[in-house]
Amino acid sequence: MPTVKHYARALGLALSLLLLTDSPAWSQEGHEHHEMEEERDDAPEPEESPESPAEEAEEDPDDVESYQGEEPALPEGMTLDEVLESAEQPPPEDFPDAMHDDAIRAFLLFDQLEYRYDLGDAPDQIGTEISGYVGGDYNRLWLKGEGETSWQGPVGLEGESEIDVLYGRLISPFWTVQIGAQYTNTWAENAYEDIWSGALALQGLAPGMFEVDASLYLTENLNLLADLEAEYDLRITQRLVLQPRAELNFAAQDIPERGIGIGLSQALVDLRLRYEFLREVAPYIGLRYQGLIGATADFAEASGEGASRFFILGGVRFALY
Amino acid sequence: MKDDDAPHNPGSGLTRRRFLLTGATALAGLTLSPKLLASEGDLEPAGDFGELDATAPGGIDLYIERKTLRIDGLPGRAITINGSVPGPTIRMTEGEEAVIRVHNRMREATSIHWHGILLPFDMDGVPGISFAGIAPGETFTYRFRLRQNGTYWYHSHSGLQEQMGHYGQLIVEPRDEDPVDYDVEHTLVLSDWTFEDPTTVYKKLKSFEGYYNFQRPTLANLRQQADATDQGLGEAIGSRLQWNRMRMDSTDIADVTGATYSYLLNGRTARENPTFIAGPGERVRLRLTNASAMTYFDVRIPGLAMTVVQADGQNVEPVEVDELRIAVAETYDVIVTLPDARAYTIFAETMDRSGYARGTLAPQQGMSAPIPERRTRPLLTMADMGMMHGDMESMEGMEGMDHGGDHSAHGGDEASDSKDKIRYPPHDEHNVSSVAHRHALPVTDLPMSVPHGPDDHGAGSITMAENAYRQLDDPGVGLGDDGRRVLTYSQLRILETPPDRRPPTREINLHLTGNMHNYIWGFNGKKWSESEMLRFKYGERLRINFINDTMMNHPMHLHGMWMDLYAGHDYGKNPRKHTVNVQPAELLTVDISVDAPGQWAFHCHLLYHMKAGMFRTVAVVRDLKGEPIYADR
Repeated sequence: MPTVKHYARALGLALSLLLLTDSPAWSQEGHEHHEMEEERDDAPEPEESPESPAEEAEEDPDDVESYQGEEPALPEGMTLDEVLESAEQPPPEDFPDAMHDDAIRAFLLFDQLEYRYDLGDAPDQIGTEISGYVGGDYNRLWLKGEGETSWQGPVGLEGESEIDVLYGRLISPFWTVQIGAQYTNTWAENAYEDIWSGALALQGLAPGMFEVDASLYLTENLNLLADLEAEYDLRITQRLVLQPRAELNFAAQDIPERGIGIGLSQALVDLRLRYEFLREVAPYIGLRYQGLIGATADFAEASGEGASRFFILGGVRFALY
Repeated sequence: MKDDDAPHNPGSGLTRRRFLLTGATALAGLTLSPKLLASEGDLEPAGDFGELDATAPGGIDLYIERKTLRIDGLPGRAITINGSVPGPTIRMTEGEEAVIRVHNRMREATSIHWHGILLPFDMDGVPGISFAGIAPGETFTYRFRLRQNGTYWYHSHSGLQEQMGHYGQLIVEPRDEDPVDYDVEHTLVLSDWTFEDPTTVYKKLKSFEGYYNFQRPTLANLRQQADATDQGLGEAIGSRLQWNRMRMDSTDIADVTGATYSYLLNGRTARENPTFIAGPGERVRLRLTNASAMTYFDVRIPGLAMTVVQADGQNVEPVEVDELRIAVAETYDVIVTLPDARAYTIFAETMDRSGYARGTLAPQQGMSAPIPERRTRPLLTMADMGMMHGDMESMEGMEGMDHGGDHSAHGGDEASDSKDKIRYPPHDEHNVSSVAHRHALPVTDLPMSVPHGPDDHGAGSITMAENAYRQLDDPGVGLGDDGRRVLTYSQLRILETPPDRRPPTREINLHLTGNMHNYIWGFNGKKWSESEMLRFKYGERLRINFINDTMMNHPMHLHGMWMDLYAGHDYGKNPRKHTVNVQPAELLTVDISVDAPGQWAFHCHLLYHMKAGMFRTVAVVRDLKGEPIYADR
């Protein structure tokens, strides 16, 4: 009959076996810290799976004999086995995250908020362009908008705006692909028109440090439109920046009711000189050339408008975040 | 208006914020005299820190609290330890047990990590890995036996607290005789301070590339750009266009600069001129710690040679130098001797030259020596992008430096041999055993460079370097070409060979990656939250090959275990470090005795890089088999 003593002995042997298996070969000599130390010599050699190349390397006599392992620093009350066991687990539930590298952030840039003084007979404008996002590093909800309004023309207050709401994903270090919807509207004294479109865009930094935003729109009337914007920051001093900017609009078909003709329909070429008091607050002055092209110009002239306009402009660029 | 293009302008240390504050104070009819401010707000100055012995009977108590201190002459909201920034210098004795009760008197959780100290993992002080952190109002008792000696430091590992003054120096006295002979010693804690909230700093870095860089290439400084790289104007414009084509900035040397930072030595700015007393003929031991969040310092004492005797707490064979670059989180002990009763300036210029910290070494208080002129901001070159492999200009002008007689440390000239062609595939966390080696790895004549290969690190990594190459003889960008003897890693030789110098049997290739455009940082293109734990096998000797794919320096810090830095000489003489600096496009190898069971932090010690994901959890486990372990549950 096995006695309590037998059980204790068996348990001791089992424990020492465990300890042995869990101690690397190099830590077996010259130690007084393990309580089971004396029993170790009686224990049989642990079995190791020969398939593991790492473990075979561990048995390489060149490795083992040249090193006398130092006593590992163990937490109070924990055996080596328990520490190694816990190292295999994710951190305990009551631990906070070690890092917060995926926080959600929001950013809104008023790239343009400006008064445009028309050098011809056409009315002056107040214009704006914004872009911003909410999200993490890779996935974001984007908002882009631009609009302008005037009040000196024959119909009084009139204007138009475009707002894009897009889901964007960073697909490479410099490029974000965006998909979503655009809402455009025009308003005048007795008229309000709007249209929805599906939008697909590629936005990023092209080689040469050009900020590029290329968008495709399919309207609810199944018209296909495209926008291409590019800008460049030329630093004159650390805070004085000259920014040339170009925007080209294209259409795949004539849309007479919106005054848009097939092909390249409009070109905007801007030049802004800004002074960055802060990175996020920079007043500027600038010039704009706006040219309607081809069939679009014809539509404009037919309705008594000029095809090209020049503006002097001034405003402030600022960011909220 | 501040002229940002003139790095030599002494006024350019004044940031806009301080300028505004100064204006506001002047309007209120006050001057900025420290005496007045002190009586006004009754503010204690930063830099008044004491000394405690943590291995003395009964241990010590540290109280963490938010407090407004006078920093750089202005009120700064800091996190103090026992009321001071830096915290008290903590002394310990090797072989004894340290007992440190940390009382959190803030409304947020905190922690202290004992940087470079070997201890049980639950005493390491990393919230989320080693323990749960110290909750507001609570006390945590750190208790560990010292198994080493030397100069180390401690700091918070919670959020961005370290940026707010939560750090201090830690000195472990040797149990036996100290091989370093000295008469006087001084604690020199270098750091960077901002009056901005560190979370704002981080937000700005995330939102605007180069927010704090006011030393960019511009039209106005084209001449300086040409001079900085010894080019003609035409060539300078050519290289500008080349950098533009790569969408990179050759002045991207520091993310956060003197535009917001005040640089501190023991909590004092250059104007406050902390003074360290030593008499002529005395051997002075300066214990240098870089406790900065983001700033590398180039330290020199014009007129005095410095003998480096310790690096990262480990005694090294003495090397005499004129200057040394101290990476974030490194420590160096140097011995200097005053030849006369004059004052000498301790000058710590930032790597990007946007500011400096300064102190004076003199026989008595009140003395000072001239402050040297600041050098112009260097420009990164194509070599920093690994594109001029074998043609390192930085090798020139280093005659007279001790190259150690071992040519394997040289950085490129004989790198055209066949070892050149060895590819280091990126480490695959899902298939650890595939990189296991059956045999001991070589410990001398390691490959001088590796071609990068296809970039498969994804959107989190902008890889420009075609080659990563060993730069052990290169003191770093902006150093080594003015005739000064500058410390390099190849000169570090450990004084006493540690017991375990087995050749490693397994290697991990770790690419340091980042996307400066979106301020994403990580390893192999992954942030901490996207990664699983790196597994080290308990008892193994492990090699890590760091391959820096970025244009920035990264001080890599492993908790709990030493990294034996491959410095190119006799394997037994390679220095042991807790933090190794990896230069742009550098291939740097460390070997590790994996003797610390548990889970540990492993990260870039640039605070905002770490925050942005350049961090891994290391699990020291029984074997490498089994399911991946994710730290982010």
